[in-house]
Amino acid sequence: MNFERSYIEFLLGNRLERITWEKQQTLSPTTTVLQYLRGMDHYKGTKEGCAEGDCGACTVVIASVSGNGRLTYKAINSCLIFLPQLHGKQLITVEHLAQPKALHPVQKAMIELDASQCGFCTPGFVMSMFALYHTIQNPTDEDILEAFSGNLCRCTGYRSIIGAARKALSTHATDRFQELEQETIQTLQSIECNDSRFTNLHQTYYLPSNLASALNLKFTFPDIEINAGSSDIALRVTKKKEVLTSLLDLSGVKELKYITKTSQGFDIGSGTDLQSLKEELGEELPSLKKILSVFGSKQIRQVATLGGNLGSASPIGDLIPLLMAYQAKLVLKSLIQERTVAATEFIKGYRQTALIPGEIITNIHIPNPDTTLIIDVEKISKRTDLDISTVSVAMRLQLKTDRTIESIFLYYGGMAATVTFTKNTCTFLEGKKWEPETLKSAFEYLEKDVNPISDARAQAEGRMALAKNLLLKLWQNNPK
Amino acid sequence: MQHKVYHESSELHVTGKAVYIDDINVPANTLHGYVVTSKTARGRLLGFDISEALKIPGVSSILSWKDIPGHNQMGAIAPDESVLVEDGIQFVGQALFLIAATTESAAIAASKLIQIDIEELEPVVTLADSMTKGWKLQETVVMKRGDAITTFNHCPHVLQNQLESGAQEHWYLETQVALAVPGEYDEIKVYSSTQHPAETQTLIAEVLGIGRHNVTIETRRLGGAFGGKETQANMVAIWSSLLATATRKPVKLRLFRDDDQKMTGKRHPFLSQFKVGFTNEGKILAYHVSFHANAGYSTDLSMAILARARTHAENAYYIPDILIESTAWKTNLPSNTAFRGFGAPQGIYVIEEAIEQIAQYLKKDAAEIRHLNFYNQPGQTTPYGEVVENNQLETIWKQLIQKSDYVRRKSEVDAFNKKNRYIKKGISLTPVKFGISFNTPFLNQAGALINIYTDGTVLVNHGGIEMGQGLYTKIRQIAASGLGINMEKVRVNATTTSTIPNTSATAASSGTDLNGMAVKNATDKLKSRIASFLRNHWQESCPNLAIEPDGLIFTNNTITCAQNPELSISFNEVVKLLYTNRISLSAKGFYSTPNLHFDKETQQGRPFYYYVFGMAVSEVELDLLTGRHIILRTDILHDTGNSINPNIDIGQIEGAFIQGVGWCTTEEIKWDAKGNMLNHSPDTYKIPGVRDIPLKFHVSLLENAPNPNTILQSKAVGEPPFIHALSVFFALKYAVSSVNNHAAYPVLNIPATNEKLVLAIENIYKDMK
Repeated sequence: MNFERSYIEFLLGNRLERITWEKQQTLSPTTTVLQYLRGMDHYKGTKEGCAEGDCGACTVVIASVSGNGRLTYKAINSCLIFLPQLHGKQLITVEHLAQPKALHPVQKAMIELDASQCGFCTPGFVMSMFALYHTIQNPTDEDILEAFSGNLCRCTGYRSIIGAARKALSTHATDRFQELEQETIQTLQSIECNDSRFTNLHQTYYLPSNLASALNLKFTFPDIEINAGSSDIALRVTKKKEVLTSLLDLSGVKELKYITKTSQGFDIGSGTDLQSLKEELGEELPSLKKILSVFGSKQIRQVATLGGNLGSASPIGDLIPLLMAYQAKLVLKSLIQERTVAATEFIKGYRQTALIPGEIITNIHIPNPDTTLIIDVEKISKRTDLDISTVSVAMRLQLKTDRTIESIFLYYGGMAATVTFTKNTCTFLEGKKWEPETLKSAFEYLEKDVNPISDARAQAEGRMALAKNLLLKLWQNNPK
Repeated sequence: MQHKVYHESSELHVTGKAVYIDDINVPANTLHGYVVTSKTARGRLLGFDISEALKIPGVSSILSWKDIPGHNQMGAIAPDESVLVEDGIQFVGQALFLIAATTESAAIAASKLIQIDIEELEPVVTLADSMTKGWKLQETVVMKRGDAITTFNHCPHVLQNQLESGAQEHWYLETQVALAVPGEYDEIKVYSSTQHPAETQTLIAEVLGIGRHNVTIETRRLGGAFGGKETQANMVAIWSSLLATATRKPVKLRLFRDDDQKMTGKRHPFLSQFKVGFTNEGKILAYHVSFHANAGYSTDLSMAILARARTHAENAYYIPDILIESTAWKTNLPSNTAFRGFGAPQGIYVIEEAIEQIAQYLKKDAAEIRHLNFYNQPGQTTPYGEVVENNQLETIWKQLIQKSDYVRRKSEVDAFNKKNRYIKKGISLTPVKFGISFNTPFLNQAGALINIYTDGTVLVNHGGIEMGQGLYTKIRQIAASGLGINMEKVRVNATTTSTIPNTSATAASSGTDLNGMAVKNATDKLKSRIASFLRNHWQESCPNLAIEPDGLIFTNNTITCAQNPELSISFNEVVKLLYTNRISLSAKGFYSTPNLHFDKETQQGRPFYYYVFGMAVSEVELDLLTGRHIILRTDILHDTGNSINPNIDIGQIEGAFIQGVGWCTTEEIKWDAKGNMLNHSPDTYKIPGVRDIPLKFHVSLLENAPNPNTILQSKAVGEPPFIHALSVFFALKYAVSSVNNHAAYPVLNIPATNEKLVLAIENIYKDMK
């Protein structure tokens, strides 16, 4: 463990930038990329609409060298990442797209389709579109909608923006970024990615480059907070105005970013981002794809990690009920031990987990679901995209050949401070026929199992009604 | 105007170069403005101590009410809002102190050290509570024709109901912001995100206790407004001005999103009761409606908003006997304010509910009932006595019924519903008739100033604000077409109070109507100067030629004599000649809408210059178990007169519609009993996203419908299409009602969230048992 490097290097457009914290007065290690950009005279194109990842006006694109040696472009919320997360990457903003006297095709299409009105959300849409331009050739409408899932516009009603995307993304003109790809890759690969530490008067931010260093740090500073994607922890900086005194950023630990498929199931590194999870396991685990399709936005899914979602132990944590239904297991590791904990045992309370000091979540194992098993998930929210569950449910159902229920496990999210396993309901249902009438007769048990909350999203009465309906919905999804 | 004209800032928008107030590069000594607000909804400020807070390094100034040089009261209509609380605290989020500091963190640290002594009182949060306690903002206003109450006795059928519609947050992408820069003596220049620079200027002058001529407001563009910056921008501009005056340094104050949502007013929630009497066919004979609006803590624009609710209470329908009552009620919430439609959506919602209920009762199609009740005879007047002229309802009806294939699709929806148990469809056609002009006649005025420079380029100044609606684009088109020159020669200047004084808000959809006419007035003056010059100039070479002003053709950057086309001169050349002949190349324009009057006592008059008409058909599919729904298709046919810019107008219609869909479905604001807003961030407040728009979305403009006596025969466009979203709400309600084969009228109010839809369906099931 040698945390001597105290600077980060990244490409801002095509210019190599270095930020050294010892010399820094104005920037802190938890300065968000949005704050950094807006602090400069010529990068005001990136806007702050909400500073919580809910509007996309701050969308920028981060290009990095991927496993296949090519650049991958990801649209992300610059309000939700800290400066050190740029290390070794290329940051592209709306200012970088146009060449002198030549707009980028995505910009041109936005103009021609009348896709801007007040213009404040426009740079964010342009950047989401730019990332898609470099990600998928001939995208479907679904790809386009997904790319815009994290961008809000209050003026246009979106039709014109979708039209602009269809137009721009049907062309394949090589842009400046593709022309310079090799050069960019070389520069990025020349940036040293060893362990580093950034400090100022109040803060220490560790960016280890490997798992051993990360575990060492966590052992030395057992209470250090982990940044595993920052889409949650960044809110404490932007919204609660907290000064996070010490952080351990796992984004540089490559050993935590993997998905392995074995005969037993899927082994997923905790640092795997949710978008990769959706794309790579969507075929094999359709319920996982289903819930991830309505998890946050594409921007958020590209930074949020599986380990981060579990570790934050949010009462809603849209993924947790499903992981319980899959009977997923978490591997928790410290310098001195490694243990495996079932997903159902991991969450201990509101924002409390089974992690003991010194431990981090290294990987998650999802067993290969038996083909006779029915695993399903449903989520209700006010809005389809970028909205946390009002109520969600995940189900693990084993039916006998005569359609009676051999076993059923139902996990509800959004109903209480933690995910709720509805024990009475499940016990009642075992041995009964899998049909709507049985499920309706289980409602009275559901009422015993859950005691829904009233909050900004829904009232207890509405949540209860939705929770019951979701049982029927699960049947409707799997009638036979 | 043959070719397509894009939004004049679109290239700046897509490249990130458009400068909003927070993007202005500021001097290094600019301070960060911060507002310390109340966490109590109702109480008394007994005392405070800022001495510890002042010790925080970086803090330049902390101001309380004691530091206000002028009046500590402001308000758009009534001066009933304190700039900083002196005694009575009236809502959570009300400003107590102002801090100017070198950094935000210093300001926040200081805010935590201010000692405050507050006596808490029981707040009034809900309309019901306010009505029980009798907290009327002003006396109930009544508008009527005939005697509805007596007529009910003779009506074959009478129905009544009580309805609510919820608050709506504007959610402009750019939060409220102001940058105040002190100048010499009392001068102050304020870059403000305001829709109403003249009022912002007036209020700053009053609070600082200086003449208005010292205060200059400049606004180039807003990142959305929708009515939310008509009055709500004033406080932020005043606060930054107070801090700038106190510190003698530039101060920028931008509200953080959550603070903006907590502190600023919303669309008024309404509680409305109605009673409607009608014939066997469904013809409405009498209608009585009472609107109760939750005004929040102060007057703001509530009375004007209720005036628009009253004047739109009958929407597109001729109702012989009608009684409209409206009351604004005070609560301990931020003062509710202007929002696209300005009370009209809330008022129209109620009559449309009445129609739907009649249709359900008579087992008829609601669209038929609507058609039967349309204004359809020449000379028919509104309840306030204005003749409905140039009525386009029947034309639009016929075209839209055909375009949308309504009749066939309606029967398909019914057939689908008979076959499907868990998925239901709904379809609805709703109309809008919307009065254009500020309800208050004197506000209908505007100014412009056009400068032609000696190189032939033109700078246009006007009093309107660009908030995305394309006003500057249309103004540029109007100026260029007026002078017969290329648009590239015309630049529209940032709106400044020092150039165009005493303007009205850019609101009430009137921006282009008023400012466009003022610009035309200026171009007419310039053209007439050019004409009289050319008369002399050309008569020297051609003595018998009579050149009347109308005898000149201004086009293609050239002025040509109609009588003798060989006589022509380029615009650039004539400009130079005027200059060397010492003729002014600058002209002021002014416009006041003619023939408007309204008697507040009798509630009769002619408040509107003309009406905008439109209709929408929406079809939805609803999943009964989850309340999830999709808009399968929406067809809108809308009247914009001779559109100045069809692309921009279609964008306005689509955007207004989707904003309305948000109001009708996902946008919900709740407060707890202590007056704390629960949905104060986009985390829990959900405006429509990209996936929430109709799968098929067809918007067209009514053709061949020139509007007499307006700028280029166009019509205003901003607010009226918001109403089209009611078609989505009623399609959803139809889907809900189909659960019981329309046997009963469902209980479902605005907004129809998933939760509310599922509960409405639950209630139907309960009734069926």
